Amino acid sequence: MNDAMVEKNKKDFRTGSWFSGVIINGILILLALSVIIPLLLPWFFVFKTRLECSYNPWSLPTQIRWSNFAEAWTAIRIDQGLINTVIVCLGAIACTVPPAAMAGYIFARYRSKVTEVIFYLILAGYFVPIQMVLIPLYKLCSQLSLTDTLPGVILSLAAFGIPFWTIIYRSFFQSLPGELAEAARIDGAGHMVTFFRIMLPLAKPATVLAVLLVFIGAWSDYLLSLILLNSQDRFTMQLRIAQFLNAYGVDHMPRYAAAAIIAAAPTIILYILGHRWILRGTLAGALKG
Amino acid sequence: MKKRRWLLFVGVMALVVVLLAPVYAAPRVKLTVWGRDLPDEQADHAYIRALINNFKAKNPDIEVDYIALGDPGLMDKTKVAMANNKVLPDIFQTWGGSTMGGYADAGRLLDMTKELKSIPCSSAAQQAMTWKGKIYGVAPFFAIAGVFYNEGIFKKYNLSIPTTIDQLEEIAETLKSKGIQPFACGAKDKWPVLALFMYLTDRSGGVQVFNNAADRKSRFDNPEFIKAAQKYQEWVKKGYFGDKPLSETYSDAQQLMATGKAAMQISGSWLCAQYANKEFTDQTIGFFAFPEMKGGKGKITDVMGMPDIAFAVTRTAANKRAAVVRFLKYAMSVEVCQAEPGRICSVPGVKARNPLTEKASNVFTQAKEIQFWWDQNLPPMVTTPLLDAMQNIFLPNADLKKAFTTYESLVEEVMGPVKK
Amino acid sequence: MDYDILLGKPAKDKSRKKQMREIIFFKIFFLLPAVLFLAVFMYYPIKETFQLSMMRASGLGESVFIGFENYVRLFTNEEFQSGLINVFRWAFWSVVIQIPLSFFIAFSLVAYRNKMTNGLRAVYYLASVLPSAIVAMLGRFMFAPNFGIIASISRKFNWIWLDKVDFLGDPRIAFWSVFFVATWAYIGFYIVYIMANIEQIPVDIREAAELDGANRWQYAIHIVLPIISYPLRIIAVLCVVGSLKLFDLPYLLTGGGPGHATKTLGIILYQQGFVNWQYGKAAAVGVVIFLLSLIFTVAQFSWQRKEGDIG
Repeated sequence: MNDAMVEKNKKDFRTGSWFSGVIINGILILLALSVIIPLLLPWFFVFKTRLECSYNPWSLPTQIRWSNFAEAWTAIRIDQGLINTVIVCLGAIACTVPPAAMAGYIFARYRSKVTEVIFYLILAGYFVPIQMVLIPLYKLCSQLSLTDTLPGVILSLAAFGIPFWTIIYRSFFQSLPGELAEAARIDGAGHMVTFFRIMLPLAKPATVLAVLLVFIGAWSDYLLSLILLNSQDRFTMQLRIAQFLNAYGVDHMPRYAAAAIIAAAPTIILYILGHRWILRGTLAGALKG
Repeated sequence: MKKRRWLLFVGVMALVVVLLAPVYAAPRVKLTVWGRDLPDEQADHAYIRALINNFKAKNPDIEVDYIALGDPGLMDKTKVAMANNKVLPDIFQTWGGSTMGGYADAGRLLDMTKELKSIPCSSAAQQAMTWKGKIYGVAPFFAIAGVFYNEGIFKKYNLSIPTTIDQLEEIAETLKSKGIQPFACGAKDKWPVLALFMYLTDRSGGVQVFNNAADRKSRFDNPEFIKAAQKYQEWVKKGYFGDKPLSETYSDAQQLMATGKAAMQISGSWLCAQYANKEFTDQTIGFFAFPEMKGGKGKITDVMGMPDIAFAVTRTAANKRAAVVRFLKYAMSVEVCQAEPGRICSVPGVKARNPLTEKASNVFTQAKEIQFWWDQNLPPMVTTPLLDAMQNIFLPNADLKKAFTTYESLVEEVMGPVKK
Repeated sequence: MDYDILLGKPAKDKSRKKQMREIIFFKIFFLLPAVLFLAVFMYYPIKETFQLSMMRASGLGESVFIGFENYVRLFTNEEFQSGLINVFRWAFWSVVIQIPLSFFIAFSLVAYRNKMTNGLRAVYYLASVLPSAIVAMLGRFMFAPNFGIIASISRKFNWIWLDKVDFLGDPRIAFWSVFFVATWAYIGFYIVYIMANIEQIPVDIREAAELDGANRWQYAIHIVLPIISYPLRIIAVLCVVGSLKLFDLPYLLTGGGPGHATKTLGIILYQQGFVNWQYGKAAAVGVVIFLLSLIFTVAQFSWQRKEGDIG
């Protein structure tokens, strides 16, 4: 479980021909290229004028023009939406991760018939397609005066995120060695102290993963915010981008591609910065499933 | 260390509580308007920009909160809001017809007949905003369906505007032999398929074919519809729509027209601004009315149309009638409508800004019978299924009779069987 | 510290009864946030949806109770039937194609580890973080009939056989084109997840295998696969439940067409509810998705129980 052991497990194979190594490495590179190349496609369009793009979509641009980016950028007015998006993301993290961690801990460590039943009830939440409850959800939010407020979006997002992360935390806490918690209990620590001082710090990889992925999920949310938010000044970035993309349609391909790049950039940058943690988090969180 | 972690946890929970507290805005009188396009610099958004910005400047006493929701966004959101009936915009952009009628029947809209009746407007546009004798809004722009064609290509191959469907077929054959796709359509998006189908049905059987079916005097799988569908499918099989018609989107179709790879497109006049814009296309594109069929009942003056830009008023505006009327009258003023580069204006006295719009306007003014775009004239429960049935025309092995019979049974479920 | 009162004194000083009470209190306190969230924002809407599925409801005006009529109409409807078939096909092929492919990549990354593959593992996950609207857009850039890159390249080199293929418009091929894009976007998570599990296998097991003369792929099939069968099944559950809910990629790429070739239950749900104003029917589709996921997962978990805990 600990890093040293994982390191040891990573030791190389001694046998095997160099030839199979070359072939496998070749295949791996090809597959990696097939992930990366499509990501580069929009760059063919963004420097062109509309006509250039219509006639020669896949030629190299003859001239580097940043105007499409500039126009997409000003039309989206990302700054305003950005604050709302960040609030939604942070709120979603705050409302998803702690309840999921706490519930997952109980399901893993304090199992009983009752908690198993509750676990299955929460698991059932994972099966709900969001479109199925959209209208009742909207009705509910308007009864609670939550329509057109960011908390409405945050709480709904959290409700849809909690089941998945409860499952992940449950499997994670199950995989942690029990001795540590028992030792703490013998030392006289209460249940809560054990959780906060011993178990939660041990679950850090799962928490990092949850925080990052909930962030990315909330960042990309479109449908819930579209339905729940009404006023322009509460719109999130994703809504502003969608406003832009929908309004222009694909008939202004260069500008459309520029907007798409702007839309995807934050998640990709975040991923590049955080991929070590995401990979490590998934790695550790994946124990036993 | 342990204290800090505890504090962090409390902090997170406190943040939750703060975020939970709903933000209540102080009540203020203002007009909330939901529309499709952003009021920005884009050429085809010129009208909405002029309307919103100038109205704000000229009416400092009215606060306008205009929200652009994009294409599926506007309709999805309006629908959920109308169903919930709590938070409604005062004014929303609509395409009139039965969708608007559905809202009106459910009591979500405000009867504005008295205030709006006198606004100068083409009768087709006013008709479109009328449901069961009451006017619920205005349609400053009206769109008609016709044939866009590439004048350069027609000239090059000595083709002239067809007056019969047989001539149209000859033209298509010539174009095909020259390696040019005769028609651009966009069948992937389903709704573009309808325009040609409406005309094929009308030109052979007249406007009554659809009207009777919609009034439940005849079935949707009656021979006239099947005949039109079979003609359409024959064209598809002949390759008039290219070899991959079903993955062509509506915007792909526009690209084909813009680059001269396709020579004709049967669609709505909202494309005029686009096709007259030299930044979008270097081809010269013209417009003609869909030709007649030899021996058919339909006339060249039967034209399919629907509102292009229209606004309707909801019940929440009941106590702001004066402000709403000012907004709608301004929306219908010559001054604002003149900003629009390409759509056909329903306000008298507004000149077309380019030759393409002028050609389309001529078709519109010569029209004797305006039939509303079918999917605007049927209840929303059966409009998309109609388009689904129609997409079958593009499937080479589809049994059209069966597709329309399936559709008819759905219509019976929703609108009742044919009355004898 | 003041929270000692809340947490209770150390366990050994307590009577058993008091301890039990404390544990129950602790359980309730910890489960409450999650349960409250779900109760309000999930179960209440679900309850409404179940009720709605028994009504004829357009969203506007009165709803009429009609019992199971919506379900009867759905199951006799050709569109729904093809949706159901597509979803099961999709689930089957994701399990049969995506999981073995992920396993192959994950195992190769572990077994043929070098500097380069270490860099590659970050790449595979990249597509999984993109919003599906962007994924769909990239998919269209690939497959679009005229300006798509495949069409353009095949025309340039005069590969008529490739130019003839209508990736999104041919009913026989569209399913696979969408499936290809989905595989591209989804397997990143599976790869990382499987890789993590392979790396947890103690090194002694591998050394023993090597002593027996097993090569990498014999080791992979005879030793690694059985050990990680539990996580693989978790992925299988995710795949199947994901297929049942599938909406955005096929909707954005093909709109469910041509015909019903790529219709999924998720698309039918959306169209019935948001386009056709048939709330009752939409709710019924939702209930079907929900129940199918539930049945599948319960079956999967109980099958596992019977086999005992592996891995």
